[in-house]
Amino acid sequence: MYIPKKHEPVRIGFYICHCGVNIASMVDVKEVAKYVGTLPNVVVSRDYKYMCSDPGQEMIQQDIIENRLNRVVVAACSPMLHEQTFRKATEKAGINPFFFQMVNIREHDAWVHTDRLEATRKAMALARAAIQRVPLHKPLEVKKVAVHPNVLIVGGGIAGIHAALVLANAGKRVYLVERDPTIGGHMAKFDKTFPTLDCAMCVLSPKMAAVGSHPNITLWTYSEVAKVDGYVGNYKVVVRRKPRYVLEDLCTGCQECVEACVYKEPKFRDEFNLGLGKRKPIRLPFPQAIPPVTLIDPETCIELKSGKCKKTCLEACGDRKAIDFKQQEELREILVGTIIVATGYQIFDAKRTPYYGYGVYPNVYNALEVERLINASGPTNGELVMRNGQVPKKVAVIHCVGSRDENTNRWCSRVCCLYSLKLAHLIHERTNAEIVNFYIDMRTPGKGMEEFYNRLSEEGMMLVRGKVADVYPDPTDGTTGRLIVQAEDTLMSRILKIPVDMVVLSVGLEPHPDSDKIRRLFNMSCSSEGWFLERHPKLAPVSTFTDGIFLAGCCQGPKDIPDSVAQAGAAAAECFSLIDKGHIEQEPNTAFVVEKECSGCKSCIPLCPYTAISLLEDKKKAYINEALCKGCGTCVASCPSGSIVQNLFEDAEVFSEIEGLLAPVPV
Amino acid sequence: MVAMLEPELCEKGATIETVLDTPEGKRILTCIQCGMCAGTCPYGEYMDYPPRRIINMLRRGFIEEVFKSDSMLRCVACYACMSKCPRGIRLSDVLLPIVKEQTLINQPEIPAELQKTLQNTLRYGNPMGESSRKRVNWATANGTKVPIMAEIKRPVDVLWFVECYTAYYQRGQDNSRAVAKLFNALGIDFAILGNEEKCAGDCGQLTWESGLFETLTDYNMEIFKKYKFNRIVTGDAHAFNAFRIRYPMYGFNYPVEHTTGLFARCLPQLKPKLTKKLNYTVTYHDACCLGRRAGLYDEPRDLLLAIPGIKLVEMTHNRVNSICCGGGGGGMWLDTFFKQKGMERLSERRVKEAIATGADVIAVSCPYEIYRFEDALKVIPHDKPIIVRDVVELLAEALGD
Repeated sequence: MYIPKKHEPVRIGFYICHCGVNIASMVDVKEVAKYVGTLPNVVVSRDYKYMCSDPGQEMIQQDIIENRLNRVVVAACSPMLHEQTFRKATEKAGINPFFFQMVNIREHDAWVHTDRLEATRKAMALARAAIQRVPLHKPLEVKKVAVHPNVLIVGGGIAGIHAALVLANAGKRVYLVERDPTIGGHMAKFDKTFPTLDCAMCVLSPKMAAVGSHPNITLWTYSEVAKVDGYVGNYKVVVRRKPRYVLEDLCTGCQECVEACVYKEPKFRDEFNLGLGKRKPIRLPFPQAIPPVTLIDPETCIELKSGKCKKTCLEACGDRKAIDFKQQEELREILVGTIIVATGYQIFDAKRTPYYGYGVYPNVYNALEVERLINASGPTNGELVMRNGQVPKKVAVIHCVGSRDENTNRWCSRVCCLYSLKLAHLIHERTNAEIVNFYIDMRTPGKGMEEFYNRLSEEGMMLVRGKVADVYPDPTDGTTGRLIVQAEDTLMSRILKIPVDMVVLSVGLEPHPDSDKIRRLFNMSCSSEGWFLERHPKLAPVSTFTDGIFLAGCCQGPKDIPDSVAQAGAAAAECFSLIDKGHIEQEPNTAFVVEKECSGCKSCIPLCPYTAISLLEDKKKAYINEALCKGCGTCVASCPSGSIVQNLFEDAEVFSEIEGLLAPVPV
Repeated sequence: MVAMLEPELCEKGATIETVLDTPEGKRILTCIQCGMCAGTCPYGEYMDYPPRRIINMLRRGFIEEVFKSDSMLRCVACYACMSKCPRGIRLSDVLLPIVKEQTLINQPEIPAELQKTLQNTLRYGNPMGESSRKRVNWATANGTKVPIMAEIKRPVDVLWFVECYTAYYQRGQDNSRAVAKLFNALGIDFAILGNEEKCAGDCGQLTWESGLFETLTDYNMEIFKKYKFNRIVTGDAHAFNAFRIRYPMYGFNYPVEHTTGLFARCLPQLKPKLTKKLNYTVTYHDACCLGRRAGLYDEPRDLLLAIPGIKLVEMTHNRVNSICCGGGGGGMWLDTFFKQKGMERLSERRVKEAIATGADVIAVSCPYEIYRFEDALKVIPHDKPIIVRDVVELLAEALGD
């Protein structure tokens, strides 16, 4: 095998790819190859239909050996796709892979232009820029960084639960951090799930229990991530554990304390039931809560507010001694290699669409409230009784509340059509009420979903195509709270004013209001709507732009339970891939400080988005942690003394590239 | 709360042929045919072609059929469809006026009442056909003294654009006298144009008699140029609307305020002067041009609550969901036409809601509403007396002496 010697003259091989017709239809590849062949140092210049194919790669390797090439330039697609392919090919032929340079003439040229001559000229300029920079390249080495095998999962909804179990069952240690006092998320509030109509808790609670008892899972509920430092493979995370005033290790979940509370009757707004029911200051959120540990609300507990309670709960707990009014917030520090963010969503606040009367008329409910009303563990024990004590005889279900609307949320929330149909079916089943669904477009993608829609249509459910414009009290009604739902039936071009007893608002899904805070914590990106951004919408749907941090569930965008679970499995697999390999390979395009030129002014330190720079106190010089550096170049450009250099982007390389780009082309 | 519509200006010159090529037209192409516009339209059930159908007829090339129907004459330009449209289509600002213009052109005859009004406005500068020389009379009668630009011959801070109903009609003049009293109480340096003023033309614009509107715009713009002032204030919600969104396309760039907005801004100075207790239960009717079109929902309510003794109650439909009095878009002069078509007067629908609140007073902030609601109250039975007052009238009353 040929190995290039030091100080040997530069010999470049240039290859331009047709990419079928993707490039060749807009760029005259033969002309470009001919032109590049005339440039200094170029020994070989060829065009080929598919450079990324095996014969394409073999052609490069053959040339390296036969023509003693020591630099390779390929003009083809984005380096995002095939940079690694060609680096490997050159390396196999015995050249340092960083003597290879890729030129993007597809995404940056052929795909975005309509004038073939101009596109060809641009390809020539881009190619020459690479030809002029590549002689200055230095051999670089890929560094390896070890990956810590523990995983942090943030969010204990169905996505977080599933990811935790997948990893833990394979023997990985998982920290599952949940903000609420129990895991289960939104799914724990649902009655049944579409399209199979199986009971949500029946399928969820075994998984919740498995999390609670799994030896490999450390479950921290009522806790939040406070700080994240470090980098892929080595994240240092601080978790804030809020006091629940009941010690998890000692509480048996018997709930005798709840029974014994000085408040004989539940009196306070029950958060889990969205305020439809009441709770005591000490309570278990719901019967299947995991961990099965009660907690005390400091806002309503007499002892915590004034210190003047009889503390009957403490008495009831007795020797178990699980109640601790002096419990303090705790900060726990953990080390993990990878993180899965599964923080979920919140429902749209229907008060933002005031014409539906939510919060004004008591018989207007949002869909999640209805889930609780028909749930056997809900505030009415599963009987659909409205706030006025009546069972509705006629119910309107309004789709798309807050969704697909420029005034509120622009996106389709994807699950509402189906959950609306499900609720309509369940309400009818429980009450025999007549149900009217008002929809704009019926969206039922996914396995079994259209069949479900078909089945409910057969049941005779009334489906009106039209967005409801107005909900107001029936003026002819006395005190029953009957409402008029007004909408155009767009298929009939007629305005309908339908009197109903109950209105269900199918509210959309939206990001948590603090999603920006979470985004910053984990150094992720958000879409303009506030959903966390995946690295690639098709090919990296659970990765983020920060290595080692993955997404699962609705924090990435609205989705149903099967998709959340599938994504959670995918995120877990991404973690495995890093953990089992044991190390990650670090791109060597990192920056370093030339110490003798650094004045120690520290101006680069706050600019680094990856907190990779620190000051060496003894030398008063800046130091860049290579493992943290992502090669963004911010510090390089900002350094007043020009003492920061970036591999593969050294000044001479960049200037030479610019000169090549700006020189005139022959056509 | 529904997002306030941006105070985007209207562009000159879009026609039914070119509208789909404008940025607004691109929004029209995004229509999802949800029917929100038709469902929320106060006259939706009387329209063969509510906005939703108009859009689809336009997109499919059948718009000519729409013009042959008189359906569009039922539009009262209340901005309900526009402010609730999930696609943010500027129906009342852009599309509907164009359709209305073409409808008027294509009708065998224009409703007589409307035609007379348009002629009056062209000839006399006001819709009621009063002499333009009598416009200032309210300001000089009964010992009232209101400064007039042509007489005082000096720059002023506020040019008060009085408008027609508030100059000629008795109940409108009550509004104007109240504004004058409040201006004086606040020490605002103001003057009016007197007989030089002509109708701002907002309703003419919305009924899309575009030639007439431009005549009025040109005239008023010339008069504005004669004098020096810092800003224009008007008590007429429609003039406010015209100055805000339509005059700028003819080069108008003065700061403009409605009296409600101005007095709300001056509330810290005004409130200590509101000493007389008014023991009224009041319900406030949101004027379309102030509420839905300009987002002034809280200002009039804040003013009412600043008056000692006043208790505020809300009608079923309020704020963005308010029901129009039926006077906009030329509706003021189409009552006979609406009656012929068997349509309920919207002012009657509205006062029924007001009566149901048990209020003593319907507070308004647009001069049309005084007439429309007082008329409606004559035919809608109610046990308890209920009166109609402009917010500024109540404020002036509370000023004491």
